[in-house]
Amino acid sequence: MNERELITKAQSGDFDAFIELVDTHKGKVYAMVRRLAGNRQDAEDIMQDTLLKAIDKIEQFRGDASFGTWLYSIALNQARAQFSKSQQADLRPIEDYLPMNSTAGRHEDIGLFDWQDPHQALESQQLRGILNEVVAELPYKYREAFLLRYVEELPVKEVARLTKQSEASAKSRILRARLALRDKLSRIFEAEYGKELS
Amino acid sequence: MAKNCPDYINDLNDYLDGGVSPELCAEIEAHIGKCQNCRIMVDTLKQTVTLCREGKEEPLPEALETRLRSLLKQRWDQKFGQK
Repeated sequence: MNERELITKAQSGDFDAFIELVDTHKGKVYAMVRRLAGNRQDAEDIMQDTLLKAIDKIEQFRGDASFGTWLYSIALNQARAQFSKSQQADLRPIEDYLPMNSTAGRHEDIGLFDWQDPHQALESQQLRGILNEVVAELPYKYREAFLLRYVEELPVKEVARLTKQSEASAKSRILRARLALRDKLSRIFEAEYGKELS
Repeated sequence: MAKNCPDYINDLNDYLDGGVSPELCAEIEAHIGKCQNCRIMVDTLKQTVTLCREGKEEPLPEALETRLRSLLKQRWDQKFGQK
């Protein structure tokens, strides 16, 4: 049965059809929610609220986008509602993350450590832990923009639409998030294995 | 006037994502060729995305799966009636 047929059946009250739709997309939606939330408990709550909301609104789904995209939008709204009030911190201005001319004397401030390949120096579990931690530390609006753009691989225009921002603003958030993550990773990797490389 | 490292920063993401004109691309690459800091910056920015993409799929914990299935069925039955 194709997606359209499953949706029609679900909209007429067929629970199994709804579950089949959910089963197709839940792994990907959960992975995104897990990263957005930064911790397992919040991720589970958001996932639960997302699917309950999908049941409440199933008749409103018109099929303009795929069922997966629709679930994504609901999950994003749920996550934003949960985090936007509590995590309004901002990142440093872009200039603070830049390599400066040596005459500006600020090399030490920005940690321009050449990581090379962190997989060579760190266990994969340790590396995964570091990555989860640095992403979770980003203020929510930056984390959301970064993950949508680079992990979900959505175009900037779509990130802007989903986050209800102008394209310029979405682009700026994506850049700042990427710079901030690079900066954090650089400092951590330097502390973890910098001496071995020098 | 010659550009300095900070002048390139707003274009860097576009450059890394392949969204700059061939002229600007050549200009950035010429700069990276001469500037060690910017070369490291570009390499590590690229890796930041590559690393974060790893582990893109994450299965739902089993306990969550079980809890969800029962909660969803309950909500479904409230909405559509038991079948």
